[in-house]
Amino acid sequence: MDLFLQTLLNGLLQSGIYALVASGLALSVGVVGIVNFAHGEFLMIGAFLAWAASASLGIDPLLSLPVVALAVFGVGALTYRVSIRHVLLAPELNQMLLTFGLGILLQNLALMLLGGNTRTVSTPYQASSLQLGALTVGGPKAVAFAFALALLGTLYFVLYRTTLGRQMRAVAQNRRGAQLIGINVDRVYMLAFGVSCGLAAVAGVLVSVLLFASPTVGLVFALKAFAIIVMAGLGNLTGVLWASVLLGVSEALVQTYVPGGGGWSDAVFFLMIFGTLVLRSFRGNR
Amino acid sequence: MSAAQSVPASALPVLRAENLSKRFGGLNAVQNVSFTHYAGEILAVIGPNGAGKTTLLNLLSGVYRPSTGRLWLQEQDITNAPMERRCHAGLGRAFQIVRPFPEMTVHENVTVGALFGQRGIRLPQAREQAYDLLERTGLAAHADRAAHELTLLQDKRLEVARALATQPRVLLLDEVMAGLRPAEAQEAVELVRGIRDSGISILFIEHIMPVVRDLADRVVVMDQGQVLAEGTYREVTANPQVVAAYLGTEAGLHA
Amino acid sequence: MSAVSARPVPARRPTFAWRALLALGIFFVLALAFPFLPLGDRREFLLQIGFFTLVAGIMALSWDLLARSGQVSLAHAAFYGLGAYGYALLLKAGVPWGAAMPLAALTAGFVSLLLGGVTMRLSGMYFAIATLAFTEVVRTVIQNLPESVAGGANGLLVPALLGGNSRGQYLLALALLLLTVGVSLAVRLSKLHHAFAAIRQGEETARVLGVNVVRYKLAAFFLSSVLAALAGVLYAGKTFFISPLDTFSLANSISPLTTSIFGGLYTTLGPILGATVLRVAEELLHNTVKNGYLVVYGLVLMLSILWLPRGIVGLWRRGRQGGDL
Repeated sequence: MDLFLQTLLNGLLQSGIYALVASGLALSVGVVGIVNFAHGEFLMIGAFLAWAASASLGIDPLLSLPVVALAVFGVGALTYRVSIRHVLLAPELNQMLLTFGLGILLQNLALMLLGGNTRTVSTPYQASSLQLGALTVGGPKAVAFAFALALLGTLYFVLYRTTLGRQMRAVAQNRRGAQLIGINVDRVYMLAFGVSCGLAAVAGVLVSVLLFASPTVGLVFALKAFAIIVMAGLGNLTGVLWASVLLGVSEALVQTYVPGGGGWSDAVFFLMIFGTLVLRSFRGNR
Repeated sequence: MSAAQSVPASALPVLRAENLSKRFGGLNAVQNVSFTHYAGEILAVIGPNGAGKTTLLNLLSGVYRPSTGRLWLQEQDITNAPMERRCHAGLGRAFQIVRPFPEMTVHENVTVGALFGQRGIRLPQAREQAYDLLERTGLAAHADRAAHELTLLQDKRLEVARALATQPRVLLLDEVMAGLRPAEAQEAVELVRGIRDSGISILFIEHIMPVVRDLADRVVVMDQGQVLAEGTYREVTANPQVVAAYLGTEAGLHA
Repeated sequence: MSAVSARPVPARRPTFAWRALLALGIFFVLALAFPFLPLGDRREFLLQIGFFTLVAGIMALSWDLLARSGQVSLAHAAFYGLGAYGYALLLKAGVPWGAAMPLAALTAGFVSLLLGGVTMRLSGMYFAIATLAFTEVVRTVIQNLPESVAGGANGLLVPALLGGNSRGQYLLALALLLLTVGVSLAVRLSKLHHAFAAIRQGEETARVLGVNVVRYKLAAFFLSSVLAALAGVLYAGKTFFISPLDTFSLANSISPLTTSIFGGLYTTLGPILGATVLRVAEELLHNTVKNGYLVVYGLVLMLSILWLPRGIVGLWRRGRQGGDL
């Protein structure tokens, strides 16, 4: 029983990060209408920036987090200006391939400059843990989860309670209409895309603490985020939270209870994405 | 032709709907709709907005499957047939919002219809037929232009030419006059008459009443998903229930 | 009107088609002459570059065949890998190489029909992600099978193709590229071309006009995967060692996609020109950019989409619509 509860708890904690990455992706899909295949690479940039700050300046990742988030927000906004903006009216194929190319570019740029090694960030609380009755929670995991929750709270507050958030949701629902009532759609797109990248970077900072930084660390998270927003239904922000928990918990269950999990758990995960997509395509329609 | 005899006794049914219904969740978009469409006839389906006309057309063309009811094209039961089989059975459709294949030339667009709408036809033959149709629909001069360069009227002609290329027995036209100027609409009316005269039965949805008056041999009026009345244009526009359904748009009805 | 005959059916403007055929002809003459040139002491190395350029051409053109039907796939690494592994395992089972090659290709073709069958209703990014996930599933399965079956993560040794004769290997690759070009041109001139283009430009409209979308999408998958698997066979026989990570690498899906777009989508000449340019560039840059060479592919892909959406062949057919030869 304890093992089961422990597994559930691990899954829940993991889902905080998933929700961060997926909310970011949902924002870019929902508001800008772009599926950003390079989303994971912005996470990777965040992870490396946190690692760099920690390795060279000795700054704790959780302290560098706001700066990293802001920096990657800027990179995202710039990316929107110089590339995404020019394919907004192009066929979906072109948009997809553009961000796909961007992802390949960023990932391999990192590989070129930094090599393929994984970089770990060491923090004083790395090995600490909390004891909750019979359950154990790793310190970094708990902190990361708390951060993720706080950020998601802020994001949803911004989206539902501020002018900018209302503008974003208005644009998401009806671009032409939003334009007619005087919303600067281009600016909203730029901000939304920037925030989307910023959220990925925050997740990256947390990943650098929990896992490591490496050129390819983002890909898996991006795919998971994609699976989550497909499960939630495109552009459904609250659905993202539930789908994240579902994914996190089911992954934890597979790892704990499926024998020989290791090598096969990847296959299970990709089979899940594949199955989700295929089943959705055959349901609903007529 | 007198009102009572709007359907010639000798006419054979080509398209027959029996108690067609379609529910979306709790909404009954189409309820128990039955009608018979006779060979060589131009049949109009009219009704106020939200009456279920478009849903009905989508049921006929295979975009949706009906919740209940049956649909026959001549002797074939096509209730659950996929779109391509309906096409082979002799059902053609032109969309309200034109959908040319944008990267093809006008001629290639029509060639696709000729090539896949009929069985056992070869490419050179299909190209030949397609060109014939471009001449018939007044598009021959534009054969080699990209489909996305056409004007709206030309697009609609292309839409019709492409549907005709599949050699349909019945042609479904979805508000093809929408967006056309009166002079253009008159041209389109002539085009539709010409198609009927070549032996193709036509079922069309239309909002513009003068067009219905000029074209339709018979009119089916829908309201709230059901058939409200059926008959000649004169009969249905004289029907008080129909007038009530259009509530206040009586002037429009008789325009 | 019915009596009128001798009416000219407008031929497609043939100018570009002839130029494209001419360019293809020149390419093949040069490619055929290449291994017979006095290449000096770098002969082996140059033949190897030539060989992999031809393989890249097969991959790119076969990817393009599938893309023509509107299916932009990230599963090409899977077919490449299935070809390589199928070939290696058949040889291991004692099948002679001349039979193992087509059998491996047909196996990949069969698998592609299964994949195409279930991804039938997906489009755009959903299709891309599903095919990517499929590739990963195939890779992890092969990697996790017992080592005695498919070598596991360590990979397999493969006997060298044609006893390691470089010129022979090169000519075999050239023959298979010629086959791929033949298939591509045959598709272009047949009913398939119209079906693919119609499905790509409006799937529902195509169905309304009687196009059997299921049949043609599967046909595209089959042709494309069989040819990609042949490229995989060539790869396995040339490198004589295959591993799941290398063979099923995402890079093997990315390069054909980028190559086709850079060269010119939905054409026969484009992917081949693209493969030649990118492959030669790769060799020239290889010493400068060691790690992460794909950076170039990412950049080329982005720049092509932004500034050259019709690829290099589009440069001399500006303003012309439709997929040319």
